Amino acid sequence: MDTNSWISILGFIATVVLAFTVGVSYGGIVRKITARIQNRVGPPVYQNFFDIFKLYSKSTAVNHGWMQHLGPAFAITASVTSLMFIPVLNGQGEFWFANLNFKGDLIFLLYMMVFGSLGMALGAGQTGNPNSAIGVSRGLSQMVGYEIPWVLALVALMLQTKSTSITGIMDYQIAHGTWMMFESPLAFIAALMAMLGMFHYAPFDVTFAPAELSSGPASEFGGKYLAMMMTSGSIFAFVKLALFVDIFMGGASNLIMLVVKTFLLYMVPVLYGIVSPRYRTEQSIRYFWGWPTLIGVLGVLYVVFVR
Amino acid sequence: MNSLLLIILILLGGAILAYLSKRISPMLSSIVSFLAITSAALVFFFLANDQEIVKISLGDFVLEWGLNAYSWIFGAMVMVMATLASLFSIFYMKGKDRLGYFNLNFDLSVMAMMGILFSLDWVSFFIFWEIMTWSSFLIIVYNGISEGKIGIKYMIFSAIGGYAMLLALVVTRSQIHSFLITDLIHSFAGFSGNMQALLGLLFLTAFGVKSAVMPLHVWAPRAYADSPMSYTAIFSGLLSKMGIFGFGIMLIAVFSHSVDGTIFVYREVLAWLAAITSVIATFYAVIQTDAKRLLAYSSIAQLGYIVMGLAIGTKLAVMAALFLAIMHAIYKGTLFMVVGAVERQTGITDMTRLGALIRKMPWTFFAALLSIIALAGIPPLGGFVGKWMLYESLITSDHYFLIILAFLSSTAAFLYSFRFLFGIFLGQEEKEFENVKEVPFTMVLPMLIGSLLLVVFGTFPGLLFKPLASAMSFLGMGDVSWNMSMLSNGWGDHVDTLDVINSVVIIFVLVAIFLGLKNRKRTRYVSTKDIHTSGEIPTENENLTYAVDFYKPFERAIAPVMKRKMDFYYNKFGEGLETFFDFLRRVYTGNGQTYAFYVIVFLVILIVFSQQIFF
Amino acid sequence: MPNDKNSQKIVDIIKNAARKHSLFVLAYGTGCGAIEIPPTMTSRYDAERFGIRGMATPRQADVLLVTGYLATKTLKRVIRAYEQMQDPKYVIGFGSCTINGGMYWDSYNTIKLLDKYIPVDVYINGCMPRPEAVITGFIELQKLIAEGKADGATKYKENLDWYRANQKKVIKNWNMPDYNW
Repeated sequence: MDTNSWISILGFIATVVLAFTVGVSYGGIVRKITARIQNRVGPPVYQNFFDIFKLYSKSTAVNHGWMQHLGPAFAITASVTSLMFIPVLNGQGEFWFANLNFKGDLIFLLYMMVFGSLGMALGAGQTGNPNSAIGVSRGLSQMVGYEIPWVLALVALMLQTKSTSITGIMDYQIAHGTWMMFESPLAFIAALMAMLGMFHYAPFDVTFAPAELSSGPASEFGGKYLAMMMTSGSIFAFVKLALFVDIFMGGASNLIMLVVKTFLLYMVPVLYGIVSPRYRTEQSIRYFWGWPTLIGVLGVLYVVFVR
Repeated sequence: MNSLLLIILILLGGAILAYLSKRISPMLSSIVSFLAITSAALVFFFLANDQEIVKISLGDFVLEWGLNAYSWIFGAMVMVMATLASLFSIFYMKGKDRLGYFNLNFDLSVMAMMGILFSLDWVSFFIFWEIMTWSSFLIIVYNGISEGKIGIKYMIFSAIGGYAMLLALVVTRSQIHSFLITDLIHSFAGFSGNMQALLGLLFLTAFGVKSAVMPLHVWAPRAYADSPMSYTAIFSGLLSKMGIFGFGIMLIAVFSHSVDGTIFVYREVLAWLAAITSVIATFYAVIQTDAKRLLAYSSIAQLGYIVMGLAIGTKLAVMAALFLAIMHAIYKGTLFMVVGAVERQTGITDMTRLGALIRKMPWTFFAALLSIIALAGIPPLGGFVGKWMLYESLITSDHYFLIILAFLSSTAAFLYSFRFLFGIFLGQEEKEFENVKEVPFTMVLPMLIGSLLLVVFGTFPGLLFKPLASAMSFLGMGDVSWNMSMLSNGWGDHVDTLDVINSVVIIFVLVAIFLGLKNRKRTRYVSTKDIHTSGEIPTENENLTYAVDFYKPFERAIAPVMKRKMDFYYNKFGEGLETFFDFLRRVYTGNGQTYAFYVIVFLVILIVFSQQIFF
Repeated sequence: MPNDKNSQKIVDIIKNAARKHSLFVLAYGTGCGAIEIPPTMTSRYDAERFGIRGMATPRQADVLLVTGYLATKTLKRVIRAYEQMQDPKYVIGFGSCTINGGMYWDSYNTIKLLDKYIPVDVYINGCMPRPEAVITGFIELQKLIAEGKADGATKYKENLDWYRANQKKVIKNWNMPDYNW
């Protein structure tokens, strides 16, 4: 192998490490913020690293069959693969994180991101725990809800920039010296509302509700399986945030900007979630098919007729 | 001998032989049918070429058969899937009665499909179309007339389609004095606007029935679900594609020669109908509890995508539609075989009762998993390629609200995809299915071949793009560029499927190895009774399965949409007709006086309006 | 490197440090003691600052917190929950009831000493122990984990026959699956 392929392999690893670190730290920060809002001290921000490491170091694990065994592998495959196709940085900064940015586009990513949920759902289904099945049923139903405003927002962006690839949308923003969240604000609002559901924080946390479903799909996962799930979840959170920053906030030119932007964005579902109660599944579906969808439609019309 | 004629004769002979050999042994009948279809497939792939033309003179008419790039695609699809289905059928149908009858009709439908594809003129097209309808009708009623009178429903709708086509043929003949399909294509532009509209409507109705587009779909769910599964594999996978084949000819080749506004309206209306079909059918698929019905509704939904692509009619859209058509034939064929295998081993297809067959039937599950991933359009497999191209074509052709409907339907498809896998293969292990075994090798093999085809076409979609491009240039779409593993849209964005599959496979293998090696000795399998039940120890008979009303919250959310079925309107229409004819019946009072009165009224009308009528 | 009771391998030190700082608790609220768990976890005493966090199912949990007296009927469920947990796992006996039966010391259907049935790593005395005491108990457990002395699970495995005999003595309708780790 020549130098370039070694560099790209190192780049892959660097990206995964970055995504993992940022994702897990954000998880810790969220716990800290939640605690402060509830007037507690809260765990240290590196608490989630301890949790994941502890779970990996558990010495036994049980599974209910090979689909449960492979479910976390599906999930992590989906997270890492979608990470590979998302530009982490724009412009000059992307030497290390180039990965496969130019080999995929938004519609591909939409489907790739679902792959993990389906794998996870199959793994949870294999356990035979009724709570898992209920959780999966709720989660998938809710997904149908938030995908609609999300896709509407993406369609608005694609129509405006005449490009379906993330790099294309980023180039458009750089060329016009603006961010898409100002260019098509309605689409941004719709996407932001969809994002609330995407992160599964309250009020849309009915899938994992610990009190009523004993944590739903994850209820039979322990030890290394749970660790895999948490790893995948952390990477996936970073993927979603980076995607949002790339298409709505002009990407980031260096890692510090990336962290600032993703963090600010992440605070939206987190802060909204902390003060919210929990929606039932059909309520959340109706919520997503109400105002967010209407705003999304207006966003598309705005792009088509005004711009 | 001419290879096209040879294929038809082999299939016809196979049908008759299969019927006769049932007297020797029922199994032999299935084997004969399989051999006939296989040899026809071999002839098709190794001997048939587009130079050959068969001409059969029937009095005044000349029937002309030939092969072109467009029909070759469909022919290859029919031959491959029919071979797999008939191989599957040997053991699936073992022990059932009236095998001769079944295999006769099975082979006849395959023959009819090949005939349709070979037809160069509308008359032989129509003849084979009717043979296909009849043979499939006979198989639908194979299990006896069900309480829903599904055979009759199918027959009524097929008759509507058939008459529409017949009428279209007569009109065509009166206009151009030729039955050749190419003549219609070339002279369509010269027709008057009304004539174009009429012909378009008639042909689209005829093909719409077979491909189950919205108001004409009501026959499909039950018909797919009620026939034997080895036949449904080709019924849903291939017979419906004949409608698509016709749509392709009409929407692309014929309509592209017209400049009239009506046709544009037809296209848009058809695209919207198809999109609504796919959404509603998906919703219905989600709430089904029977695996067969679920797949049947899912078929309607997927056909909606294909028709949508054809109706949009840009290069990318047509490519997407044809690609999806082939993929749909493969994965839906495989899935119906999977259901068939499950039905044969357990006797039921009710997803509320089945469960945890994954350990009993691992190969079947593997095939089902790959097919479901393709059906849901999730990346590495073939279904994704078609879906991707469809969405890109919708966006680049400014159909921005259609894409939302398409996406809604495709996202909701994850629901029934999961339900299908979960309901049959995952969940609690039930005592009832303790002794279920994997199906015999000849049933596993076709399923595995089907799912491997999905992997191959997902990695190298170019293998299909090549024949598809020549098919599209035959339809008059001009040069279509393609690449072995690179998908690209009109705006210059692309996806490299090879990179996708490499990335997925490498990461998956690495993670799976890690999972496998980590604590290998201390990772243990436990039964599905060993779950978190708050410390309670479930007994043998305790039912812990969550299977009934699986998507109840979703059902509640979509309840307003589901209030009325199309059947409701047809029933209302039927009732309306009944009332109308009941009223007409009163005209015949049986009283001589009244009839005399009618005659007088008629005469008066004649006298009064004679000026307008005769001059 | 020798691996006797007083010295650990370097890997174990790291692992135990992580285990110590991340305790996923399965609170088995059997008796009146369950009422002390909410204040321990929420704003007033905030156990989460020590990495202690409630979990929903035994598969995910590290610590089984048995809060109070155990009727023989509940004992069976507690044993089941304990056996479903993944190694390494710890048990905290909470309140006097788990030590000597407490106020139920002469009851015919409660057990007196929890340690006879599952291996307890830390007892928290009191009736009720206040949240401060509970947190002290957890910190004690953390110390034991860091020193590698919280080895209840190993003890259970080694002396399974003895534990099983004790369990079967009080649980009449025995229908538990085998424990074969």
